Amino acid sequence: MTDALSAVPPAKRWWLPPGPVVQRAFFGGWTIAVFAFLYIPILLLVVYSFNDSKLNLQWVGFTTKWYGLLFGNEVLLRAFQNSLIVAAATTVLSVFIGTTAAWLLYRYRFPAQQTLGLLIFIPMVMPEVLMGVSLLVLFVAMGIPLGYVTLIIAHTTFCFPFVLVGVQARLQGIDPALEEAALDLGATPLKAFWLVIVPYLMPAIVAGALMSFTLSFDEYIVTIFTSGADSQTLPLKVYGMVRVGLNPQLNALSTLFIAATAVLVIASQVFTRKKTT
Amino acid sequence: MKKHKTQLLTAVCAGAMLLAGCTKKDDTLKLFCWTEYVPQAVIDKFTEETGIKVSVENYSSNEEMLSKLLAGGGSYDLIQPSEYTVQAMIKEDLLQELDPAKIPNLKNLAPEFRNLPFDPGNKYSIPWMAGFVGIVYNAETVTTPVVGYQDVFKPEHAGRIVILDDSREIVSWGLATAGIPVNDVSDANLATITPMLQDWLSKVKVYDSDSPKTAMSNGDTDIGVVWSGEGALLFAENPKFQWVTPAEGVHMFVDNLAIPKTSQNKDKAEEFMNFVLRPDISKMISDEFPYYNPNAEGRKLLSAEQLNNPASYPPGFDVTKAELFTDIGEQGSKVDELITTLKVE
Amino acid sequence: MAVTAATAALASGPSLQRRAGIGPWFALAPMLGWLLLFVIVPTLMLVVVSFSERDSLGRVIYSFNLENYIRAFDWKWLKILGISVWYAFLTTVICLILGYPVAYFIGRSSERVRGLLIMLVMIPFWTSFLIRTYAWISILSQEGLLNALLMTLKITSAPIGFMYTPFAVVLGLVYNFLPFMILPIYTSVEKLDGSLIEAAYDLGARPARVFAQVVLPLTKPGIAAGILLVFVPAIAMFAITTLMGGGANPTIGEVIQNQFTKARNQPFGAALGVLLLAIFIFSLWLSTKLRRGEEE
Repeated sequence: MTDALSAVPPAKRWWLPPGPVVQRAFFGGWTIAVFAFLYIPILLLVVYSFNDSKLNLQWVGFTTKWYGLLFGNEVLLRAFQNSLIVAAATTVLSVFIGTTAAWLLYRYRFPAQQTLGLLIFIPMVMPEVLMGVSLLVLFVAMGIPLGYVTLIIAHTTFCFPFVLVGVQARLQGIDPALEEAALDLGATPLKAFWLVIVPYLMPAIVAGALMSFTLSFDEYIVTIFTSGADSQTLPLKVYGMVRVGLNPQLNALSTLFIAATAVLVIASQVFTRKKTT
Repeated sequence: MKKHKTQLLTAVCAGAMLLAGCTKKDDTLKLFCWTEYVPQAVIDKFTEETGIKVSVENYSSNEEMLSKLLAGGGSYDLIQPSEYTVQAMIKEDLLQELDPAKIPNLKNLAPEFRNLPFDPGNKYSIPWMAGFVGIVYNAETVTTPVVGYQDVFKPEHAGRIVILDDSREIVSWGLATAGIPVNDVSDANLATITPMLQDWLSKVKVYDSDSPKTAMSNGDTDIGVVWSGEGALLFAENPKFQWVTPAEGVHMFVDNLAIPKTSQNKDKAEEFMNFVLRPDISKMISDEFPYYNPNAEGRKLLSAEQLNNPASYPPGFDVTKAELFTDIGEQGSKVDELITTLKVE
Repeated sequence: MAVTAATAALASGPSLQRRAGIGPWFALAPMLGWLLLFVIVPTLMLVVVSFSERDSLGRVIYSFNLENYIRAFDWKWLKILGISVWYAFLTTVICLILGYPVAYFIGRSSERVRGLLIMLVMIPFWTSFLIRTYAWISILSQEGLLNALLMTLKITSAPIGFMYTPFAVVLGLVYNFLPFMILPIYTSVEKLDGSLIEAAYDLGARPARVFAQVVLPLTKPGIAAGILLVFVPAIAMFAITTLMGGGANPTIGEVIQNQFTKARNQPFGAALGVLLLAIFIFSLWLSTKLRRGEEE
C-alpha cells in the first residue's frame, strides 16, 4: 500500500495526476477514449473541408477552394462575426449575473428564496420556441427595436442559469474561514467577495463561461425571433443551407475557428509561468 | 495620447454600432426570405445596378415568417410566402397591391403562372419558383416498377422509405390516392384515409423535410416521396436516383414574392421584383436552385442538362393540371394531430 | 469513520446565512429585475396564451377556455412526453458514466494541463451544431464510415442501420450534452484536497472504498449540478432527436415546435409548454423539500 502512495509524481512529470499508477492509467485511458469520441466528427468535418464536392456526403477529391471562397463570402463571415460578438457579450453578462446571484443567494437570506431558486430554472426548461415568441412580443410591446441588444438579452436569459448552477455547486462546502479572514482584516463584504471568493470560484466561473458561450454561439430558435437584420448570426444562415446541401465553406470556417482557438489555448498554457501558491 | 485616441475611437464605434442597430434605415430594402433561396449574387447585382442596399433576414418556414410579421417584429419590404400563405394573407388584407406599371417584366412569366387561383392576375404577388412533390428511388436497389404512391408503400420497402415531415403533404398523398381533391380536408375525408395512412406510416423509416436527400444518398433508404428540388439534386449527383411523377396526381407549390402592408418602400420592392423577373437574373436563380422556373424567358436561357432533369421539369407534366394547396385554416391543426398520432402509435 | 464524518461536514458546510441588508438587496437587483422582466413576464404571457384560442391565420384570440388543457391530457401527448423524459434520463445516466472519470482525471491533473484539457472539452462545440450532427450521420449511415470500418475488419458482413434509431438519438444527445456534465463535476473535483485522499489510503482503505466514501460525497454537488444541466434541457430538445431519429418518434419539444409552425396552434403549444414547466417546477420543489428533510 505504502509503495503506491509514495508514487506522488516528481515535479518533472507534471502532466500526470497524482495517485496509484493503475488508477492513473485507467482514468487517463478513459479520458483519451472520451476525447476520441468528442473529436471524431470534428476530424471528419475538417477532412470534408478539403472535399471537392458541394453535397459533402461522399469523398470526391482534394481541394482548398472552399477556403478561398470563404474569404470572399462576406455574408457568412459577417454572420460569424455577429455570432462571436453576441456570444461574447452574452457570456460576460451571464457570468456577471450568475456569479453574483449565486453568491448573494448563498450568503444572505432573502425572503421567498426558494421561489427565486425555482424561477431561475424556468429559462432552462422552457422550450426555445416559447421563449423566442414571448420575448419577441415583449420587445415589441416595450418598443425595443430588434437587434444586438434584444438578441443579447434573449441569450443571456437562458445562459445565466447555467453559470448560476455551476457556481452554486462550487459554493457548497466552501470554508467560511475564507471570507471571515478577509472581513477580519478589515475588508468590506464587496472587497472580500472580489479578492477572496471570486478566485475560489474561478473554475466554476470559467466552466459557466464556456457553457454560456457554447449555448449562445449555436442558438437558432430564440435568435430567429429576437434578431434584427444587422444581427443575423451564423446558425440563421446555416439552418437553411441543409436544403441545398451544407456548404463546405462552413466546414472551412469551423476548421479555422477551432484551429485558431486550440492554438491560442495551447500557447497560453505553454507560455504561462506556473503559479506559486 | 495615441492610445487614448484609439480607445475613444473604438468606444465611439462601439456606441455607433449599438445605435446603428436602433436607428431605422429607411433607404434599405428589407428582404425577409427563406434561407438559401435568394442567391447572394442576385442581391449583390441588384445593389450594383440600382444602388439600393438590401438587408436580408431569413426564416425556414412560412409560419415562422407569419409569426414574426404578425408580432410586429420588423417592418419588412419583401417576403417570400408560399401559395397558401399568400392566399391567407390576401384574405386578411396583409399584402399591398402591386402596381403592374412598375413591373413590366411580368410579361416574361409563363402564361400559366399569370393567373394562379390563389392570386389571379398577380395582383399581390409574383411567383418566384415552383416545385412539386414526387417519388425518388434508387434504381440499383429498387427493381420493381414504381408509378405512384401506392408503389412506394409496398411491403418490400418497409423500413427503407423516407418521406417529407409535413403532415399536410402526407395527407394530400392519401387523399390523391383515394381520389379526393387534396384541399378537401374535412374530418370525414381524414377519417376515410386514416387506415391507409396508418399502414403507410408504419413502413416509414425517416421523416425529413429539410434534407431528405441525405437519407437517400447515404443508403439508409431506397425510396421516398420528396420535394422536386431534392430529387433534382440527387439526380444531378448520380443518375441512379430516378424521379417519378406520381400517377395518382401531383400538386404544385409556388413560392412568391410579396409586399406586406407595413412596408414603406413599395417602389423599391417593386423594382426588385421587376429585376428578378429579368431572364438573365431568372437564370441565375435557376442555376442555384433546380426547381421549376415559372419565367418562360428565363427558361430559354437554361442549359439542356438543367432542362432535362426530370425532377425540375418532369417530362409530360402539365402545369395547368397540377393542384395547388389552398389555405385550410384551422384544419391544419387537425391534420397535424392526425399524423402525430399515427407516428406515435 | 473519522474520515467519512469529516467529509460529510465538508460536503454540507455550516450555514453562514445572514439577513440581507440594503447592500445585498441592491446587488441582487439586477438579477431580480432580469428575472422579472425577461422570465416572469414571458411566462405569464405564455399562461395567458395557453387559455386562448386562435383564428384561421394562427393569430391568438385572447379568451379564457380550458380547451387546450383538456386536449393536452390525451394519451398520445403523454406518451410523447414520457418518451422524451426517458431519452433525457438515458442521456443523463450515460453522460454521468462517461463524463465522471474524465472530470476526475482533468480535475486532479496539474494546473497547466487542467486549463488546457477543460478548454479542449468544449472546443468541438464551437462548430455549428448542424455540421457536427451531419458529420455523425455520415459516420453512422449505411454507406458511412462506421459500417465501412466494421466490414473491412470483417466484424460484420452487411451494413447495420445505426441511423434513425433510438441508439442514434441517444448518441446524438449524449454527444451534445457531455461537456455539460464534465464541466460542473470538474469544478467539484478541482477543489478536492489531495491530502484527504492520501489520508484515506494511509488508513488502509482500498481504492473502491476511498472513491465511494471520500471522493464521491465530496463531488456530490458537482454531480447534482451536472445532472441538472443535462437532464432538464434534454427533455425539451428537438433538433438532434429529429435529425438523428428520423422523426418517427417525435419528442415533446418537436410537438411544441410544430404547434408554432405547421399546426398554427400557438395556444395549444403554449398549454403544452406550461404543463412542461409545471412538471419541472413541481419536481424541483419536491427534490428541494426532500433534500431539506434529509439535512434536518
